[in-house]
Amino acid sequence: MTLGEWLDLENALDSGLIGGQLSRFYYGARMILVKSETDYDKYDEAFEECFSAVKKDTEIGTEMLRWLDKSDLMQLAEQEARDHLNKMEGEGIIIDKEDVEQKFKQRLKDQDSEHNGGSFWIGTMGKTSFGNTGGNIGGVRVGGATGYQSAFAVIGAKKYRDFRDDRVMTNRQFQLAFRRLRQFSSRLDTPERELDIDKTVDETCNQGGVLKIEMRKPRKNSVKLLLLMDSGGTMIPYSSLLNDLFQAVNKSNHYKEVKCYYFHNCIYSHLYKTPECENGDWVETKWLFRNTDKDYKVIIVGDAAMAPEELYSDTGNYRGPNDGLSGEEWLKSLKRHYKKIVWLNPKMAPGNAPWREAETAVKQMFPMYKLTVSGLDKAMIKLMETR
Amino acid sequence: MSIFEGTKGYVASPELMDSVNIAIALKKPLLIKGEPGTGKTMLAESVAEALGKKLIIWNIKSTTKAQDGLYMYDTIQRLYDGQFGEGGVDDIAHYIKLGKLGEAFDSEEQVVLLIDEIDKADLEFPNDLLWELDQMEFYIGETKRTVKAKHRPIVIITSNAEKELPDAFLRRCIFHYIEFPGKELMEEIIKVHFPEVEEHLLNEAMDVFYQIRDIRDIRKKPSTSELIDWINALQIGGIPYGQIKAKLPFIGVVVKKDEDLEQTVHHNFQ
Ligand SMILES: Nc1ncnc2c1ncn2[C@@H]1O[C@H](COP(=O)(O)OP(=O)(O)OP(=O)(O)O)[C@@H](O)[C@H]1O
Ligand SMILES: [Mg+2]
Repeated sequence: MTLGEWLDLENALDSGLIGGQLSRFYYGARMILVKSETDYDKYDEAFEECFSAVKKDTEIGTEMLRWLDKSDLMQLAEQEARDHLNKMEGEGIIIDKEDVEQKFKQRLKDQDSEHNGGSFWIGTMGKTSFGNTGGNIGGVRVGGATGYQSAFAVIGAKKYRDFRDDRVMTNRQFQLAFRRLRQFSSRLDTPERELDIDKTVDETCNQGGVLKIEMRKPRKNSVKLLLLMDSGGTMIPYSSLLNDLFQAVNKSNHYKEVKCYYFHNCIYSHLYKTPECENGDWVETKWLFRNTDKDYKVIIVGDAAMAPEELYSDTGNYRGPNDGLSGEEWLKSLKRHYKKIVWLNPKMAPGNAPWREAETAVKQMFPMYKLTVSGLDKAMIKLMETR
Repeated sequence: MSIFEGTKGYVASPELMDSVNIAIALKKPLLIKGEPGTGKTMLAESVAEALGKKLIIWNIKSTTKAQDGLYMYDTIQRLYDGQFGEGGVDDIAHYIKLGKLGEAFDSEEQVVLLIDEIDKADLEFPNDLLWELDQMEFYIGETKRTVKAKHRPIVIITSNAEKELPDAFLRRCIFHYIEFPGKELMEEIIKVHFPEVEEHLLNEAMDVFYQIRDIRDIRKKPSTSELIDWINALQIGGIPYGQIKAKLPFIGVVVKKDEDLEQTVHHNFQ
């Protein structure tokens, strides 16, 4: 949050637009101060802490709510904060926003008697835009029979928790990470090898029709993605994570091409079209090689948890055919075919634990990252490296 | 000052209406986010209608650049005119065509400007507009003219995907996230579209709809517009009482992906 936004809040309070009810203040302040739904939950926490006195004791709580509705408490608190701010500005001190907030809160706490001044909450304009919420106002529909939900009802429901981005991994984070692929792609240091038609036409016309060619860097995202996901037994706990990942890739329709297949524990001669991994519902791995060129960026997601023979034996695939090659050899052929491959592992033990022989071997074949925010970021950077 | 109080054809929550009014009062763009079909685009239409103002829509695509919204200089037309000896070639202003933002600035009356799906464009796009949205003016180099807003337009910006928008841009906006409507609100929305809808059909269809949205791992959650389409189909189809849950008629209207369809058909609706 910045000082500018804080001043906006003051302005809004001055205009009476977010007064009248605590819940109205809750939403109004949120609109001005919080710019992402991922921060709504944190805002709720702060709001709850700040106004907890209202909530804790029902008797006092109701009293305070009633009182908040018409008192100039907020105005005083706000005035205090403003004075404080001005003073500091006058002294040429850098304003510490926490300090201002602190004052603001302190003022709220200190206030212990009802001050009756102008009906600030009702708004200095003498009216609020919605006199009574709920029902119809002059043919206008106000959604929800109850109008504003109580601010605490909203907070209590913890409904923004899912939007938080400091949880392990969310859909949003996947999308952001995948956007990285695009961002980097447009910043590649490629030569200007695309005809800039608009500029050429403009320049040519400006020269009275004498052709003047203008070139530019390619703007389009040329990234092609191949996503291979393990949906074997040990991956079941991560199925919704995989689904998020899948959604993120599919939603960001910024890639030239996206392909997605599944495997069970290790990659062999066939790749499945669905996470259920049903025999028959698949493509041949060799077919995939023929139909995707080396420039596809390959993301393999799996825990690489398998018995050594699943990796090393040419009959190690206990669910389907091996077609003469061991899992390791299939993985190697993948590595030969594509220029860029990363492996994302939701479990990934640190170091090379001896009892995780297969994982260690896979790790030596492909750069492996833990499936966390930072791991994913690193993997995306790896994929976009030139060379 | 004009205050937005909604329109008959659009159901807005009180906080959504507040967000519009706050944005207008503080003279800031209103950034609206939310799942597809939560009425983001329609909000701008409703605001324009309620306030009796013209709506200018700037639809953003992946290829849209900030400059497109300001103005275009039609050099080709000028060349043609020059070659065929048309008059007015010396007057470059003749060949300057204002974009949507330019149009909004240049309008004689205050307009509502909808910048729809801003996240479709390049990451840098919002930043390229900061100055213009702040100052409400831009400069046309070719004609040395400054286009300045006669009346500050009411700017509503929508964003769909959960894409990161630049901080500098966000700081200048009023932000509101439209939550997916709960059953109560949804009922009102449906009734706006079908005032005569039969209660039992509505209830049964909504029941199924919300359960589909809750199916785990569903790839594309159906949205309001899909529910509206479905109810429309059900009404026309004249489905007898109690059959919706059991037979899921016209379910393809609601669930469009094959994988999802399969999950839905096998789902045990309560
Ligand atoms: N609050 C509402 N009141 C009335 N109708 C609504 C409301 N919300 C959604 N609808 C209906 O849903 C349709 C889709 O709404 P709209 O196109 O505005 O959604 P959107 O959020 O812009 O979606 P997208 O992200 O896909 O662009 C509308 O045409 C309208 O019929
Ligand atoms: Mg829209």
